[in-house]
Amino acid sequence: MRSLVHRAALLLLPLVESAVLVAPSAVAETIAGHRPSPDLAVGRAAYQQHCARCHGVEGRGDGYDAKRLYPRPRDLTEGIFKFRSTATGTTPTDEDLFNTLTNGLPGTGMPDWSHLDEGARWQLVAYLTSLSAAFTDAPPESVNLGTDPGPKRADHAQGHAVYEKLGCAACHGLGGRGNGPSAATLVDNWGRPTRPKDLTEGWSYRGGNRPRDIVARMLTGIDGTPMPSYAEAVSTDDAWQLAYYVRSLQRDIASTMIAHARRLEGPLPEDPDDPRWQEAPRADARLRAVVDTQGQINAPQTVTRLSVWVLHNGEAMGLRLMWNDTSDDRGTPADALAVALLPQGLGGDVVSLQTWPLRDTPSLDLCLWSAAQTAGEAREAVAKDFSTLFDGTIAGTVRESRAAYLDGEWTVVITRPLAPTDVPGAAQLDAQAIVPVGFVVWDGGNPSQRAVSMWIDVVLRPPKTRGQGHEAAPSKTQGGGGAIWAIASVVLVAGLGLVIKTR
Amino acid sequence: MASAPRAQFVTLAALVVAIGCGGGKPQEASAKSNTAARPLQLAQAPEDPATAQPSGSAAITGRVAFSGAPPAAERVKMDADPQCALQHTDAVHKPEVVVNANGTLKHVFVYVQQGLEGKSFAAPASAATLNQHGCMYEPHVFGVQVGQELSIVNSDATLHNVNCKATKSKPFNLAQPTKGMKTSKQFAAPEIMVKCVCNVHPWMAAYIGVVAHPYFAVTGDEGTFSLAGLPAGTYTVAAWHEKYGEQTQTVTVGDGETGSVAFEFKAQ
Repeated sequence: MRSLVHRAALLLLPLVESAVLVAPSAVAETIAGHRPSPDLAVGRAAYQQHCARCHGVEGRGDGYDAKRLYPRPRDLTEGIFKFRSTATGTTPTDEDLFNTLTNGLPGTGMPDWSHLDEGARWQLVAYLTSLSAAFTDAPPESVNLGTDPGPKRADHAQGHAVYEKLGCAACHGLGGRGNGPSAATLVDNWGRPTRPKDLTEGWSYRGGNRPRDIVARMLTGIDGTPMPSYAEAVSTDDAWQLAYYVRSLQRDIASTMIAHARRLEGPLPEDPDDPRWQEAPRADARLRAVVDTQGQINAPQTVTRLSVWVLHNGEAMGLRLMWNDTSDDRGTPADALAVALLPQGLGGDVVSLQTWPLRDTPSLDLCLWSAAQTAGEAREAVAKDFSTLFDGTIAGTVRESRAAYLDGEWTVVITRPLAPTDVPGAAQLDAQAIVPVGFVVWDGGNPSQRAVSMWIDVVLRPPKTRGQGHEAAPSKTQGGGGAIWAIASVVLVAGLGLVIKTR
Repeated sequence: MASAPRAQFVTLAALVVAIGCGGGKPQEASAKSNTAARPLQLAQAPEDPATAQPSGSAAITGRVAFSGAPPAAERVKMDADPQCALQHTDAVHKPEVVVNANGTLKHVFVYVQQGLEGKSFAAPASAATLNQHGCMYEPHVFGVQVGQELSIVNSDATLHNVNCKATKSKPFNLAQPTKGMKTSKQFAAPEIMVKCVCNVHPWMAAYIGVVAHPYFAVTGDEGTFSLAGLPAGTYTVAAWHEKYGEQTQTVTVGDGETGSVAFEFKAQ
């Protein structure tokens, strides 16, 4: 059976872009639930198999994939670790390392390794602590995290007062959006640009989003980053109140991959604040940074999410788009967004926005909005790349649009005919269609990078009258949960297929 | 020459001198007169008898010259934090390359690098101070002895984080969100230099020379230094600058003698 899983996994490899697929561990002799006695040879073997690709053969953070990841994998030989229960400048406990291995670091390239058996993870921990002298020179000093008052005793007003007193807003912003006055200038201890966490994004807190995790980050700091330890600056009681307040800022994201449109009669709303937008359900997309022409990512991802509401009236489609961007950049380079549709005749031949445009990839129907342009304008054209539309080589056809920027978020409304006759090759949609739509976002304050979504199905046809059966419920799983289930079920199906075939 | 040093930096230099010379002997006449203007900071200078332990009467003095055209000092923009900007009426520049009127280089850390092997020196009982004032570090460059208390003070009504990136001792990154907050730290091993930054205010940087003995100094407005109270011997003296790196010279001094060393840094 194991070899079948192996083969199924190998079959899947080309399908999963840069995902780290891991074969079942060779370290199976340890009893689950027990911590084995450290065996560095076993730990080293597991490290070389699972970790070296990113963290490097010697642990120096210079593995094959390191430059495709941002934040970069840590140089483990320096002994500076972000997520600890210990004082700033001291090494993490074995349990801290075990937890990081087990849970991964959401929002980074570090996956969770909970599929490795517990014994293997402990062997990895033992090996990691052998890579740096810091584990003997600066042994863990535990930090008192105080007592959880429980959610019933949490006082958000008090928590907010602590947030203000401690100066959190300098980096994280008044509303926790990661847009404080110092946000754009932050660098880590190696001089690489970094950004404060957008505290509303509960799904990408690296070290966990529970109040206890937040208290730990507050009191221990996140070593190697600008986030300092507040151990000497705040009481544990205040730290907990702050943590519950920060917890209250977290929002969920409904990554359904489906946006259900609503039909209106008459003109579509142009104002981003028009209440009629609320008639359409919101769909969320998480965005991903695209590697540059060198195959690298050299800046933190600043635009991470986009929400969309779709309305149509049988003639035209209106898209209300909202995404996070800590700075309002209207100069050069400016903030910009492209809505991508598949041009007429390209149905089914979906290209990945991650890699578009590559040479010989098909053109896309793009609707480009730029904050630099005259207000009220987006331009649509079928183009082979983004730059010709940006630089005006292709003039494009003007589409009605309105934009507003408020507290770290752009909201843009773009209206487009369902079946335009003024753009050669443009996507021709009808009111019954299910249309793949993709989004590409540029942050003028982070110009080396663009962020893209997956293709989202915009369902223009009306919902079934009986029940709401096909209405997508908000996803309960956060993060890559959906993707993991998808992979798991494909593995299962492939495995079953092989079993049947073998028989 | 480079940029007109602000009054603050003049007093800052005085503090550097006061802290920097472990023996508590101000080594510059001009610095001496300036310290008088700030008795509070003078009081922080190590005058403890424990620091007088090196039993010698030799001394090494010298100056650090600078040749060539210094780079223009970078103007600090404090717009992002009104609490910082409010404390300055004049333009603030990064104190990186500061060339004195007499053609010498300021903020050079001078210390005995070799020649004291086998001797041990207890840390002074008094603390050195790193002050955050007007969203600048005071002093910008200074020295402490291994094990000496370093008192880190926030004199600003704004958040500072003190991110000291030691590699030979435990590094730390501490938040000081309120005015008057004070934290004590010390370094366990010699290191040239420990750089401290404030990530909230990215122009802030301080360099701390951590030395196992009291023979160190920092050049001020006259660009001179004095390492007094040394036992007779042959010493390698090093001069370190944040932009121009480190130079060394060797000098032999006998009891009661004063050896002279001249360093010169060139514009790049």
